[in-house]
Amino acid sequence: MRADGLFAMLDRWGRWALPGTVLLFFVLLTLAPLRAPYLSGALPLLPALVVFQFSLATPERLPGPLLLAMGILLDLLLGGPGAPVGVSALGFVLIRAAVINNRRYLVGVPFLFQWFGFCLLAWGYVVLVWFFTALWTWTAIDPVPAMMQYVVVVVIYPLLAPLLARVRARDPLNVPDESRGTARPGETTS
Amino acid sequence: MAIRDDFEVVASQVRTVVQRFALGLLVIAAFGAMLVGKADSVLVEHARVLALDLASPVLEAIARPVAAANRAIADLKEFASLREENARLREENVRLLAWQTAARRLENENVRMRDLANFREGPEASFITARIVGDSVSAYVRGALLNVGRRAGVASGQAVVTGEGLAGRIAEVGENSARVLFVTDVNSRLPVLIERTRERAILAGDNSPQLRLTLLQSVAGVQRGDRIVTSGDGGSFPVGIPIGEVVDTGEGSVRVRPFADFSRLEFVRVVDYGVTGLVSGGPAPSAPPAGIRVR
Repeated sequence: MRADGLFAMLDRWGRWALPGTVLLFFVLLTLAPLRAPYLSGALPLLPALVVFQFSLATPERLPGPLLLAMGILLDLLLGGPGAPVGVSALGFVLIRAAVINNRRYLVGVPFLFQWFGFCLLAWGYVVLVWFFTALWTWTAIDPVPAMMQYVVVVVIYPLLAPLLARVRARDPLNVPDESRGTARPGETTS
Repeated sequence: MAIRDDFEVVASQVRTVVQRFALGLLVIAAFGAMLVGKADSVLVEHARVLALDLASPVLEAIARPVAAANRAIADLKEFASLREENARLREENVRLLAWQTAARRLENENVRMRDLANFREGPEASFITARIVGDSVSAYVRGALLNVGRRAGVASGQAVVTGEGLAGRIAEVGENSARVLFVTDVNSRLPVLIERTRERAILAGDNSPQLRLTLLQSVAGVQRGDRIVTSGDGGSFPVGIPIGEVVDTGEGSVRVRPFADFSRLEFVRVVDYGVTGLVSGGPAPSAPPAGIRVR
């Protein structure tokens, strides 16, 4: 760790900053006027995907307060008169907590399990956002567009997740202890 | 050995408690933000405008490549149906030429009638052309971000039009950015006229591609194909901007298809009608508008 050269330092900083930067990029991409059918509709859910994937790989580099700030920024940018500001933040924080508490089912398991886990958590996220938006604006919002978003983002997951998972390539198993699951070596069930 | 194990157990328990506490704090903070937003909408409005102004240069930088990608996608789609499209356009051209003749004759007639009746025109509108740099389209909002703001003379409540018709109105204004709320948004309510019968109504969005016509005195008088235009009630919109046409007159609910094609908007025009503030109370532009204002 000592006597780092400039590049080593940059490397370390870069690695720490990467998840946050990628998340910020996807938050801004939410607003990009992309007109590809279906895909553009699912853009608002991509930050949640990023949060899920990075919480799997390197949760310590995506701390809760950062997620809170990003979620509030997303809500401010996405707008909508009367829509709750902070509901995405709540969703992000809960996704991170859910992933960390279920690492033993989600990390080091076949990809299909991760996909399944994402399906469950994204479902929770979509329902949460829909519920609070409906509550805050006090209107019965048609849930079908939200369902469409959900379906598209679930389909996109296998395309995007492996790309994001590469952030782990440099340190495959060097995850610090506090972010690892509570399972001890050899333990399979609780 | 036993002491060390005990220590580890206690340490891990403390760690768990702290972690759980941290989650609780974060959740409380998120709820707090939501409640503050509900209680103090002015503060949230300011925060939104600030976020918009900060994000708009970044969005503008990525808007061009995104627009290029969109054009490529649209081109590919059009290649597939070039022949049919050409035939359709030729036919439409013939029809439009006939209309043009009719319009010229009517315009002449109109001018003469106005001279006769000493008719006073409404305030003249001027236009501010803007590029769409961001979509704020999700399952809950239908809108877009523009690269012009207060500095160019944009004010809250102004109409936003495309070549085809009304797209929406300005909802929030920053220094160099503004947010449009499309007519299809669930929060959009417009005073309108049915062009054929001159009957007044309210046109409401519900986040679906079509609009809903409500508050009609008589639903029976509406026919499929009727054009809906702005009525100018409320004062901030010019009279007679086309919005859409009636496509469905089912039991009690009249559906309207907007003329503006929201899936391929790239540039829009903000109509500065001189009269603002009646709808949303935004401050009138203080500095003389500069830059991209055209007549």
